[in-house]
Amino acid sequence: MKKRIRILLDNVIQKKHHQFRQNIEKEALEDFTRSLKEQDLPDVQRAKLRLSWVMAHEIPVILTDERIVFTKTVTKIPEIFTSKEWDRIKSNHYIHEMGRVCNISSNFSYTIEVGLEKRRLEVIKAIETQTARGNRKGIEFLEAVLQSIEDVLRLSERYALKARDNGREDLYLLLQNIPKKGAKTFHEALQFFRILHFTLWASGNYHNTVGRFDQYMYEYLKNDLDNGTLDYEDALELLEEFFISFNKDSDLYPGMQQGDNGQSMVLGGIDRKGDDSFNILSEMCLKASLELKIIDPKINLRVNKNTPVEQYDLGTELTKEGLGFPQYSNDDIVIPGLLSKGYNIEDARDYVVAACWEFIIPGYGMDIPNITALSFVKVINRAVNNHLIRSKDFDTFMENVRKEISVELTHLTILLYNIYFEPAPFQSLLMNDCIDNAQDISQGNRYNNYGIHGTGISTAVDSLAAIKKFVFDERSVSAKDLIQAVSDNFEGHYDLWVKLKYHTPRMGNDDDAADNIAIRLLDFFSELSSRLVNERGGCYRPGTGSAMYYLWHVKDIGASADGRKQGEPLSANFSPGLNIKLNGPVSIIRSFSKPDMKKIMNGGPLTLELHNTVFNNPGSIRKVSSLVKAYMDLGGQQLQINAVNREKLIQAKKHPEQYKNLIVRVWGWSGYFVELDELYQDHIIQRTELEL
Amino acid sequence: MSKGTVFNIEEFAVHDGPGIRKLVFFKGCPLRCSWCHNPEGLSFCKELMISHAACIKCNRCKEICTNEVCIACGKCVEVCPLRLRKIAGREYEAQELAEILLKGKEVLTDSGGGITISGGEPLSQPEFLFNLIDFIKPVNIAIETSGYAEPEIFQKMVSVTDLVMMDIKHTDNLIHKQFTGVSNELILANLGFLCQSDTPFIIRIPLIPGVNDTITNIEQTAVLIKDAGKLEGVELLTYHKTAPAKYQMLGKEFKPGFDTEKKVNIWSAVFDKHNIKVSLL
Ligand code: SF4
Ligand code: SF4
Repeated sequence: MKKRIRILLDNVIQKKHHQFRQNIEKEALEDFTRSLKEQDLPDVQRAKLRLSWVMAHEIPVILTDERIVFTKTVTKIPEIFTSKEWDRIKSNHYIHEMGRVCNISSNFSYTIEVGLEKRRLEVIKAIETQTARGNRKGIEFLEAVLQSIEDVLRLSERYALKARDNGREDLYLLLQNIPKKGAKTFHEALQFFRILHFTLWASGNYHNTVGRFDQYMYEYLKNDLDNGTLDYEDALELLEEFFISFNKDSDLYPGMQQGDNGQSMVLGGIDRKGDDSFNILSEMCLKASLELKIIDPKINLRVNKNTPVEQYDLGTELTKEGLGFPQYSNDDIVIPGLLSKGYNIEDARDYVVAACWEFIIPGYGMDIPNITALSFVKVINRAVNNHLIRSKDFDTFMENVRKEISVELTHLTILLYNIYFEPAPFQSLLMNDCIDNAQDISQGNRYNNYGIHGTGISTAVDSLAAIKKFVFDERSVSAKDLIQAVSDNFEGHYDLWVKLKYHTPRMGNDDDAADNIAIRLLDFFSELSSRLVNERGGCYRPGTGSAMYYLWHVKDIGASADGRKQGEPLSANFSPGLNIKLNGPVSIIRSFSKPDMKKIMNGGPLTLELHNTVFNNPGSIRKVSSLVKAYMDLGGQQLQINAVNREKLIQAKKHPEQYKNLIVRVWGWSGYFVELDELYQDHIIQRTELEL
Repeated sequence: MSKGTVFNIEEFAVHDGPGIRKLVFFKGCPLRCSWCHNPEGLSFCKELMISHAACIKCNRCKEICTNEVCIACGKCVEVCPLRLRKIAGREYEAQELAEILLKGKEVLTDSGGGITISGGEPLSQPEFLFNLIDFIKPVNIAIETSGYAEPEIFQKMVSVTDLVMMDIKHTDNLIHKQFTGVSNELILANLGFLCQSDTPFIIRIPLIPGVNDTITNIEQTAVLIKDAGKLEGVELLTYHKTAPAKYQMLGKEFKPGFDTEKKVNIWSAVFDKHNIKVSLL
């Protein structure tokens, strides 16, 4: 890492740029909102004026030695409706999260290529077309887009002047070219992206993903390298500065937790034509991330059966750092899955991930891939209470499970009516077809599908496996006793609890007794959700992600038939249950690749936890890579590995029941951390202390 | 058809041979190295292990037990509400064990991995071992051994194995006897055979402070192996101070007989000098 980058990074980590943040009074924000109300403006105009307000309030900041500028100084964005107005909207609309367009993937590349002046002409032409058609609403929308272009150009000009004042002729010249004109160099393209991304946040949109960065930026890099404008080291330096820029303002972005900001970048995979696309920039991105060790942008790797293991090695090097990425997605499973839901082949090949893992299409997708979540454990518990006693065999019982899933899906989706989003004129500029159609992205686009997460899948499967084994196959537990024990949270049912807890076939143990049930359960999920259509004419996409729902859902379910007691957590996403000891990673990847993941196509990774000492020598990098590759070759959809760190170990010591599969290296041998006596545990914790 | 006793199976052993490997630990060992970190691998019989740290003294385990002296029947394991008790050791038929190890074998073989047999001392259950190997082949097999076995058994093992990982604890017979309980003659003779064989091998040295970390011992060890054509390298394992805990779990006492606080000498330059690849684990 070059010295300049080290300094820029340190400054961001130490939050030195926070000194430029403005303290905008709450009253000022409220005054703005009130004035919108008093003028009784339609929502499009309100959204337009908000962006103008934010951009006009921005004060250009050029940090020392910065070559990619734009730092947020406006820390809060005003609402466009008063809270009373919001209440009225909510009373007859479904509101997704904050009611703003979010979690989609922009087409940055076109605007970066042609520049905003050309985009302005396009919008003006579109206004003419719509005027001829007398489309008032369309014109109003396009005028808002036009204004957003003006806002960007104006702030860019102010940045340019500031650069000249600071004696930064280089930056001044750069900002004279872009964003007016299309980018010619890698540096210009990166700065252009930064401006567009900055403006998305300024317009109130969030979870603004980065998309296939290594594809749309490749030509700029290649040209510069070919004609000698940059050498590899210069390019890497620029890229690292660009990566750092994602971390400057991210604490201001909306999200469930710090870090939940949606800045996902997708690398590799096949291109729109079906050819492998991993290139020198993909590799450079992995390298930059590895050197910087910061959490944004979040790296995703697309892989397929032709991906060489060396590419996985580059990913594993990152995993080793304990950052929690890359996340791997398997083209061979994801693309057919998207096709089955009506995505066209070129778009499907172009998929990226949304903020977390959901598969979306850059430029064309207005999918809401996290609109609701099915609690599998809740459904199973209801089936147990309502139907277990009367079910004559396991198949009959499973039919009832299916019915309960159907009921729950109806119940969940019936709420999703008359959805409303604030208009997003600037976001619309960065989506395909919105200008030509004179329609705001909030109204939908080529793809308008909704995704349903599924939580507690492994706990549900294990519960069903226990029921099959003990109630139906062995007949060693009566339905009545099981229901009673679960409803008593196993108090006073110790022997039965031991049986359920320690003798149930488990998903994750490569045991067909459990895995066949997982296959059936997920088939129910996909089949039943495929019958549903949303109000925008889109389909429902079933998925194995959990987001924060796995924590929420646990609150309204009691104990479960797998021996999980009330309040004990469900695992996140598509992962084995938490309080059980499994055979190991080979069994886990085999179990979790058995269901047909082409059908459960909304996304949601299997998460494996390996201790970071597993990564100790160069040979073990390859082994971890091989494990990831094996999962993909077996038909796995998505995977993420955690190199477990010290904090986790301390947690594991306090709550061993939640970390049963945590592997640690002790002395020439590996063991399960929680099985070690305190002395070992403390020793390992101490050891990580030394390593830090 | 033969039976054998095993005390653990791991599925993702990253330091025990190439590729993704399953690792099986045979129970029972003729050596008694004073530093042994796997004391449940010493006895050939099943044993009860108790993790005392979290015991709430509920007495359920005592109430169910009907034996004066523990026979490792396992009854108390089920009644402990905290699952602090387990039986180390389980008997398997060779074929049954092979099926478990071979489950998902394409994951192992596609990565250039396979199965590693460790212990305890795998050569101490020879009939079971060779039976198991017959079932596992042609999947890649690595054996971790102390080298303490009848030459006939050792040589047969070398001929049916893809990689041997053998310990050399000390070249001096008296010290060897003092710290491992057995003479090193058999081990060195078998090492001689291994050095002449066509089977790739790795030598492992558990470095014990004040016992075998002397320049003389390391130099002599290097000389013994330096001309072997199939030597892939030397792995040095440093002693960690965690060994005593498992002894407690078995109700045994840890008597290392050396100063566990002392800093260990590494001497890896000795191997560099002889052009032997060396790594520290
Ligand atoms: S295993 Fe437990 S129950 Fe069985 S003899 Fe030993 S102490 Fe008693
Ligand atoms: S049953 Fe478990 S917790 Fe109770 S006294 Fe025995 S070891 Fe301790």
